[in-house]
Amino acid sequence: MSTRNVLLQAARRGGSLFGLVKKLWGHPKGRLGLILVSLLVLIAILAPVLAPYDPYDVTQRAEKGLRPSLQHPLGTTITTGQDILSMLIYGSRVSLMIGIITGVILAFLGALMGVIAGYVGGFADTLIMRVVDILLVIPTLPLIIVLTNLLGRSYFVIVLVFVAFGWTGLARVIRSLVLVLKNSNYVKAAELAGASRWYIMTKHILPGTSHLIIMNTTLTCAGIMVAEAGLSFLGLGDPTAISWGKMLAEAQGGGALLFGAWWWILAPGAGIFLAVFSFMRIGIVMEEIFNPRMKASSSIYKIFKHLNNSYLDEVFRSMEDEGPEEAEGQPISTAPAPEGGHD
Amino acid sequence: MSASGGMPIERLLEMENVSVNFPVKRAYPFSRRRWIQAVTDVSLEISQGETFGIVGESGCGKSTLANAMIGMVRPTGGTVRFQGEDLYALKTKAFKEARRNMQMIFQDPFSSLNPRFTVYDIIKEPLLIRGGASEAEMRARVLELLKLVGLDEEDLLRHPSDFSGGQRQRIGIARAIILNPRFLVCDEPVSGLDVSVHAQIMNLLMEIQAELNLTYVFISHNLAVVKNVCQNMLVMYLGKVMEAGDSNTVFANPLHPYTKALLSAILDVNVDRTRERVLLQGDTPSPIDPPEGCRFWQRCPFAMVGCETTPAALVGVEDGHHVACHLISGFSPEQKAAGLDQPASSQ
Amino acid sequence: MTDPVLEVRNLKVAFPCAGGIIRAVEGIDLMTRKGECVALVGESGCGKSVTAFSIMKLLRTPPSVSRIDSLQLDGRELSHLSEREMEHIRGKDMAMIFQDAMTALNPVMTVGKQIDEIYRRHTRLGKKEAREQTVRALELVGVPEARSRADSFPHELSGGMRQRVLIALAFACMPKLIIADEPTTSLDVTIQAQVLDVLKSMQQEHDVSALLITHDLSVVANMADTVYVMYSGKIVERAAVEELFTDPRHPYSQGLLASVPKLSDEKQAFVQIPDTVPHPMRKPTGCYFHPRCSYTTESCRERMPRLEVVPEDRQVRCWNPLGQEREA
Repeated sequence: MSTRNVLLQAARRGGSLFGLVKKLWGHPKGRLGLILVSLLVLIAILAPVLAPYDPYDVTQRAEKGLRPSLQHPLGTTITTGQDILSMLIYGSRVSLMIGIITGVILAFLGALMGVIAGYVGGFADTLIMRVVDILLVIPTLPLIIVLTNLLGRSYFVIVLVFVAFGWTGLARVIRSLVLVLKNSNYVKAAELAGASRWYIMTKHILPGTSHLIIMNTTLTCAGIMVAEAGLSFLGLGDPTAISWGKMLAEAQGGGALLFGAWWWILAPGAGIFLAVFSFMRIGIVMEEIFNPRMKASSSIYKIFKHLNNSYLDEVFRSMEDEGPEEAEGQPISTAPAPEGGHD
Repeated sequence: MSASGGMPIERLLEMENVSVNFPVKRAYPFSRRRWIQAVTDVSLEISQGETFGIVGESGCGKSTLANAMIGMVRPTGGTVRFQGEDLYALKTKAFKEARRNMQMIFQDPFSSLNPRFTVYDIIKEPLLIRGGASEAEMRARVLELLKLVGLDEEDLLRHPSDFSGGQRQRIGIARAIILNPRFLVCDEPVSGLDVSVHAQIMNLLMEIQAELNLTYVFISHNLAVVKNVCQNMLVMYLGKVMEAGDSNTVFANPLHPYTKALLSAILDVNVDRTRERVLLQGDTPSPIDPPEGCRFWQRCPFAMVGCETTPAALVGVEDGHHVACHLISGFSPEQKAAGLDQPASSQ
Repeated sequence: MTDPVLEVRNLKVAFPCAGGIIRAVEGIDLMTRKGECVALVGESGCGKSVTAFSIMKLLRTPPSVSRIDSLQLDGRELSHLSEREMEHIRGKDMAMIFQDAMTALNPVMTVGKQIDEIYRRHTRLGKKEAREQTVRALELVGVPEARSRADSFPHELSGGMRQRVLIALAFACMPKLIIADEPTTSLDVTIQAQVLDVLKSMQQEHDVSALLITHDLSVVANMADTVYVMYSGKIVERAAVEELFTDPRHPYSQGLLASVPKLSDEKQAFVQIPDTVPHPMRKPTGCYFHPRCSYTTESCRERMPRLEVVPEDRQVRCWNPLGQEREA
């Protein structure tokens, strides 16, 4: 769809994206998120290289239920004797792929619907919003169960349902923003100069939403990954693929708790946690960047911690009128001072 | 109400009995449709090179009126004639052409510039949209305008957030004149700025007007500023014209109680305690389904019984001065017999 | 001469931040007397709102740091009081009217309840008596149908009404000092006139001392008895209101007065002050106003002038004040 290309262009507009990455890097928590996500992506891509064994290869099975050791740092599964570490590494592929692919598709679909509803307005707006209302009412889990019964268990079905139902959140948020942007004075000025609706949509409205789209998408990816893990746990995913959720299901079914093989449960759990955490970290930091008011006042406390008392005295002394030396006044604030502060 | 003078001066903009009504969203389907009568029955003429003032407070309809002038809002009634042609009857292409002759300067310097654009992009945008100029030509033109409004070349690559309110307004002015419009609507251009910057921007606007032979419509609630720069003006309240005419004449002899209230409210710095002080009562009523009679009657300290029900027509009082007020135009003998000229009981 | 109600001596406030330190208020003295309305005039960024908040001791230590020699209300020293003790004073002896009623009022509480709260907090009144007082207070500030209006929420009232509610809140316990921070800036001109009228009559009737913070000289002309002009954190002039308007001594005061458009007879160009207010982190050397001043001399560029007392109870901070022989 050409509109998708436009959206793609807008999102990829050089300055915007690179500037964003740079800002994230500058933020200590953002840097952490970026590093983790990059690590995860690398692991997923390089899985065949990194994993000591190929868990899909039946011939590489070892003895069942081994405890962690040098050859099998996370042991082997009780049920099949697969190396858990390798499963963990390969499992990242499923989570990340589903999370990112679904997230990106949702970004396009949600933004498209939001912009149309907001900017075109009128009947299109009413139609889209009513569709959103309907979709929000339909319960997705039973639907997935029904569809997997009809179409067979696969990630395609899961992604399909996520995409069909998940665009509503972003659409609503984007629509609100578009309604605000539409009435900006600079849009009015452009209209007075004779700008077409297309020009305004692509030059003013879309770039104005790009930050929101990116931020929302990272948080959505995190959510999708958790949802996918849950569905795989329930056995609704592809039975042949290795995913963290499925590992958890196997661990539970295979009696990990019974036999005390806690590493089998911990590994996929940690994997899910790290993946979701890193995406959310990026999303939250982005929210702070775009909405400076949300910034935690930690940075201010840091400045205050490093404040030198003599520096402050110097500053206050310099405010005095020249003349006979006056006694130093007392501070008048009643809030508790940070450690090392004057009082 | 046109400017006086021997030479025929072109009537740039005319509005005849323009009304703009907005529907209010229905509380529930099939309930009675209510209307916001933002502008009701306003007529005016603006001549080339003139500065026309529109005075009023929030809710009086001045912004809607301005929007109707520049083709942003289609009037529900009446005609808008620009350069002799019915603006809203034009076909799209001609409409856009006509509109390029009009531009607007906005009140809030912080929301009138796209924060993601550079100054260069902002000023060049109207030229880019219209097309027909090369990059070099556009750049030259932008530089020319930058100088005119008092900014530097090195400001081109900056973003609006790097500038103060006054400087942003200058950028907005540069953007507004890049297409050489004939007609500029200034919607409270200095209200959002520091006092010491007001004068700078006003002087800039006056210089530009002289140099480029522009016509201004100046919207403000500050009568002192309007008096200083406008030749003709009208005073609006809740969508209707209360008083209109040559600004010198109106200021020398303000007749409508609302005009007097506005004047006394502009607490003059040269404290002239002999000026009549008119204090209103109550609050501005809602513009939804306004009353039949004079729309000002509820707050008017001189309201009479008839003011509530009988609309007041705009009558000429002297040359270049019209007022819509029963105090001035009086009641007919029949109306007086019905007791309509008795003072309304204050509430 | 009546006794002073508010005395501020040598107030200094700064905001450390990433790029340096913002010098918001640089050693100012203020005084108000009983029944007097004192105006603190200046443009945005001059430090006047920070001053108001400092007097109420509402500034928190991060992000601000402050020093003061003395802060006295009706003879009582406040600078060393704890937050707990201040809570007894705020609302009762000292009250503030904020600029924006929508953010100053609790949106989920009826206005009546908010005023009731003041009474119940600071006096021994019960629920019913507090409500009686509330209705009276609302009537005093000119709210029509006060009893039923007391049950409205802030968003149901117009801007002017909300501002009147703020005035009622401030005057509820008949404090000794009212600080009004741009109380009518966001209102329409005719509503502003009405609200200021109420404020003035309340202040005069109850002999309350008022500190009015504003940038609008016309408000000052009609409300104030004494004026302090503030520029970039410093007081540059103090005078009685008629003297300031007819005979300003500091070039900035003169510039401000000149730049207000007059309802005079002839059309004239607007008198402007060149350039803009200095950035609070990058102030000029010497007198802060000298880059914009038409009467600058060498000493203006090098040293900050002192606040000198001038005959008939005025103060000016200028090496070459107007209206006197200038140093050659």
